[in-house]
Amino acid sequence: MTRYLYDGTAEGLVSAIAQLLDSGTDPMLATLAEREDTLFEEGLFLRTDSDAVEALFSKLKQRAPDAVNAIRYCLMGDAGGLGTSLLRYVALALVHGDRINGHLTDDDVKAVVTMARKAGRELHRMKGLLRFEQMRDGAYLARMEPDHDVIQPLARHFSRRLRAQRWFIVDLRRQSAASWDGSALQFGTLEQFSRPELSDEEVAVQEMWRTFFRTIAIPERRNPKLQKSNMPAKYWKYLTEKQGE
Amino acid sequence: MEIQEKLGILSGAARYDASCASSGCGREGSAVRVGNTSQGGICHSWSDDGRCVSLLKILLSNDCRYDCAYCVNRSSNPVPRASFTAREVVDLTMEFYRRNYIEGLFLSSAVMKGPDQTMEEMVRVAEMLREEEKFGGYIHLKVIPGSSPELVRRAGLAADRISVNIELPSGESLQRLAPQKRRESILEPMRLIGTEIGSSLVERTLSRKAPRFAPAGQSTQMIIGASPETDLQILRLSQGLYRKMNLKRVYYSAFVPVNDDNRLPVLAAPPLLREHRLYQADWLLRFYNFSAEEILSDDAPDLDESFDPKTAWALRHPECFPVEVNRADYHTLLRVPGIGPTSAKRIVAARRFASITPEGLKKIGVVMKRAKYFVTCSGRPFEKEVREPLRLRQRLLLGEPAPEPRQLVLFS
Repeated sequence: MTRYLYDGTAEGLVSAIAQLLDSGTDPMLATLAEREDTLFEEGLFLRTDSDAVEALFSKLKQRAPDAVNAIRYCLMGDAGGLGTSLLRYVALALVHGDRINGHLTDDDVKAVVTMARKAGRELHRMKGLLRFEQMRDGAYLARMEPDHDVIQPLARHFSRRLRAQRWFIVDLRRQSAASWDGSALQFGTLEQFSRPELSDEEVAVQEMWRTFFRTIAIPERRNPKLQKSNMPAKYWKYLTEKQGE
Repeated sequence: MEIQEKLGILSGAARYDASCASSGCGREGSAVRVGNTSQGGICHSWSDDGRCVSLLKILLSNDCRYDCAYCVNRSSNPVPRASFTAREVVDLTMEFYRRNYIEGLFLSSAVMKGPDQTMEEMVRVAEMLREEEKFGGYIHLKVIPGSSPELVRRAGLAADRISVNIELPSGESLQRLAPQKRRESILEPMRLIGTEIGSSLVERTLSRKAPRFAPAGQSTQMIIGASPETDLQILRLSQGLYRKMNLKRVYYSAFVPVNDDNRLPVLAAPPLLREHRLYQADWLLRFYNFSAEEILSDDAPDLDESFDPKTAWALRHPECFPVEVNRADYHTLLRVPGIGPTSAKRIVAARRFASITPEGLKKIGVVMKRAKYFVTCSGRPFEKEVREPLRLRQRLLLGEPAPEPRQLVLFS
C-alpha cells in the first residue's frame, strides 16, 4: 500500500486522482490523504496540475456524466477523509460508467454517493431556508453558514429565480460571497463583514411574515419535535421567522 | 383594518387546508420577470405544528354565507371577519417571494356574495400576478363549488394547480354537515378540470405554444373523523378519484373540533394516527400498485392502528413470503415491508455488480428492522424461527427480545 498526499484543496484532490490513474497506479493499492504540516509525514506529495483536472473531467463527462455530478457534490462537502474512496470511485466510474452509482454495496462507492447526497440535500434545503433582507439602498442581502460549500449552485438558482432585483449571498463560515446585479453573477471572498442597515419597508414585511408564520400553525397539532427534525435548529440563526422568539 | 391584522385573521382561517405542495411542474420563460417553479417543489419553513410551509396560504375573505358544521368560518360563528383586496394579496405575495419566504400563493376563500363573485375575485388575483407582475412562481387556486365553467377555465389558465374540496367522504355526510353545498356542484368542476387538463396536454403535443391548463394538476381534500365513513369507503373514493378523474393528490385532514355542534362527534383530540395511516395507504395506492380492496376488506374495513398498512397486508399474506432479494422483480420487492421504491430500485441496480449480502442490504438503506422477517438473501433467511404469523406480529410490535431472559412488563 503506497500513501500519496495532496494539498488539501478540492482541485488538488482531483488532480492527484488524475495523476495516479494516468500513471497506471492500482487504486486498490494506494491511499490518498490531505498533507498535514508535520515535518516527517510519510507519503508521496502530488503537485496540483489544473490541466490534469480538466482532462479527467472531460473524459468522465463522456463516460459517466452522473458520476461527474456526484464528484462535484461530494467536493462541496468536507472531502478530506474521502480521498482514497474518491480515487477508487473515479477508477470504477471510468470502467462502468454511470451504472457505478448503483453499486452501493461497495464501501467506497457508498461513501462517495452518501457524501454527495448529503451535500445535495443541504443545497436543496438552503434553496428554501435562505432569507433575503432589503437594505437601505434597495439591494437584498442573505446570510448563511451551511455545512457544505453550496454557494455556487445556490447563487445560480437565485439568478434565475430573483433576477429582477440586486442581491448578495454571503457564506459567513467560509468568508465567501456571491452577487447578482440584475444581469451577471459574481463570486468573491469577504475581507470583513458587517450587516448593513435594513430599509423601513423591510422591517414591516418581516413583521408580517412572523405574523403569518405564527398563525398558520394549528394549535391543536403543535409538534416542536417534528418541526426541529424537518428544520434543524442550526439553520434558525438567520431565519426571519425564528427571530425574537 | 391594518393589513397586519387582516393577515393574522386570514392565515389563521386558512390553516386547516392541508395542501402545501409546490411540486409537479417546472416553469421558466422570458415572459416572466420574477420567479420560477421547481419540479420537485421546495419547502421554505416548518411551522410549530411541524407542517411544511411552502406557499403563502391565505383566504381572500373569511366572511362566509354558508354555515357548515365543521368549519371555523361558518356564518353563525362570532369570529372577527376580514377581506383582502386583490391588490393587497398581490403585494404580499410579491414581497414575500422577493425575500424567499415562499414558493408562491395558495389562495382560498369563504363564499362571500356568491360562488361566482368570490371566484371572479380570486381569479383576478392570479391574473394580476401573472400579467401585471409577470410572476412565474407557483399559484394554487381553490375552486368555489358552484362557480361557472368559464371562471374555472380562467383559474386553470392562470394557476399551476387548482383544487375543489370534496370536504367529506360521502354525499350523505355532506348533506348533513354542509347542507348548503351539493355533492354534484363539487364533482362537476372536478370533472371539467380533469377534461381541460387532458385536452391541454393533447394540444401541447401538437403545438408547444398551446396554453397550459393547471400544469401541476388537480388535488382535493376531505375531513377525516367528522363523519362515520370507514377507511375502506375513504380509500375506495380516493382510488376512484385517482383512476377516473386523474387527480394528483387527495389530502386527508384530521377533524379538529373548532365548533360546538350536536351533528359533530365529540373527540378528545384530532385523529392524527388515523390520518397518518390513511396517508400511508394512499401512498400504497399511488406508488406501490396496491388497490383499496387489497389494503382493506368489508370484514376489516378500518386500518390497523398498530401496523402500517403494508406490514398489515404482509402479515395477512404469509404465502407471498419470504421474497428472495437477489431474484425478485421490482414489483415483488415493493411489497416487502421495509422496502420502498428507492431501496427497491437500488437493489435492482446493485444486483448487476454482485449478489446482495445481508450487509449490502443494510448499506442500500432497507429498513431491516421490518424487512428481515420477509426476505432471504441467496436462499438464507434472516430470522428462521419467526415465520409463524402470531409470533411475527408480536415480534414486530415489541421489537427484539432482550438478550437476557426477563419478565416483560406490560403494565407499569
